[in-house]
Amino acid sequence: MTLAERLGAYLSRTSGSPTTIEALSRIPGGASRETYSFDAVTRGRREGFILRRDPAGSLIETDRRLEFLAIRSFAGKGVAAPEAILLEEQGGELERPFFIMSRVEGGVTGSPLAADPLGEHGGAIGKQFFSFLGKIAAEPIDDLPLRQAAVCPKQPDCWRRELDYWAGVIDADEQHPQPIVRAAIRRLYRTAPPPPAKIAVVHGDYRLGNFLHDGAGRILAILDWEMAHLGDPLEDLAWSMDPLWSHPGDGRISGMVPREEALAIWRRASGLDIDAAALAWWSLFASVKGQAIWTSAAKAWRDGGMVEPILAFSGWYTARRHDQILAERLVALGAL
Amino acid sequence: MTPTLPDILIGCLLTLNAPLPPEAAGDYMAARMGLLAMLAALAAQEAERGPAARIWENQAIGDLFAHLSDDYRAHFSDTLAAAAQAGDGDFTWSGLDRTNAALRSVLIDLHQEAERRDDGDLQRAILKLYQAMADARRLDLAGATGG
Repeated sequence: MTLAERLGAYLSRTSGSPTTIEALSRIPGGASRETYSFDAVTRGRREGFILRRDPAGSLIETDRRLEFLAIRSFAGKGVAAPEAILLEEQGGELERPFFIMSRVEGGVTGSPLAADPLGEHGGAIGKQFFSFLGKIAAEPIDDLPLRQAAVCPKQPDCWRRELDYWAGVIDADEQHPQPIVRAAIRRLYRTAPPPPAKIAVVHGDYRLGNFLHDGAGRILAILDWEMAHLGDPLEDLAWSMDPLWSHPGDGRISGMVPREEALAIWRRASGLDIDAAALAWWSLFASVKGQAIWTSAAKAWRDGGMVEPILAFSGWYTARRHDQILAERLVALGAL
Repeated sequence: MTPTLPDILIGCLLTLNAPLPPEAAGDYMAARMGLLAMLAALAAQEAERGPAARIWENQAIGDLFAHLSDDYRAHFSDTLAAAAQAGDGDFTWSGLDRTNAALRSVLIDLHQEAERRDDGDLQRAILKLYQAMADARRLDLAGATGG
């Protein structure tokens, strides 16, 4: 059976209504899930959806239930989260776990590789981008669906939990000694940041390339919540501003707004202050986390038979770019 | 640093030969071809600069060790000797990388020792070396995209 036939069989069985799948098409980008667009036709009614299925081998080991609940946590909260519709953790006819969400029509992404990824609409998009991030940080966590699955760290432990995890990823997946990221990890352990003002939902991969916009200055959907967790909201802010996502020499964050404006928008939307030392710590951490992901990408590419070029690109070009960023940061910070 | 250039080129070949299901045609296939083109262009850069970068880096790490004070050299004498022999005149990609891996491992240990001793001068020298290493290994996307 083709994937479309299997998906149709699953939806027919679980909904009790005969459903056929049309226009099934894999969407490029993203290495931790296979993403497809499709139309489901049930009793003559056609609806557009997105399927996110676990790949046979994944760049990032993430829990699709967490991703599903994270998206659901922000439904109708004014941060352009798509509608999470159905979660299948066993895989059913599709053999691997997956979930289905609404399809946002007419959206385009911006590439971090482009010199001016958002063009004349960068400023307007940047205001929404950092405002949405501030709203995510402001959201009280206790009653969110995500709380059903996400571990809630104690405030002083946020940094260590994340650093332990990503340093562990490098330990597990490194195939060649990496002195630069090792030095950054040691520095992070020795210079713990102050605890956050609050525990918040951390999107985990909030950046240019992970949202859809309408090409006219409006963000339509915030995507790729697969690394969502609870923690220090500055983690997301620092990640979103990592130099990797911006064209070198452009004074704006990812072709959107200058850094100080981004911080001001985030402060207003979140109602939180930004501790400069904490943000500096999370900024260095962001580059370490990136390097950990690219280290895993290189290993996943090799282990997966070297047939996913996105993994090769991530594990090669992006890893080297992050080494440059990390080395520059370390030189600026000086001796320990 | 992985993947190596031979890995990348073999991977491009395997990718081109890999069958894809019908739902992968269209945008996904186009993006895949675009990535392969970019990898090929980056591979050309790596073919041009990669050996020189590795030889330079191995030499630069060796030079750093050569200028260490006697107490550091005594501390690392065994591992330094082993690292120096790791590639042993093998200038293939894998040979240069084998030497590099050995030297980088000792460099990591040396940096930790400099931190333990609060040796700011050596730490700063190592950090500057890191920056030069990262710059020497850079891949330029503008050259790969024609931008």
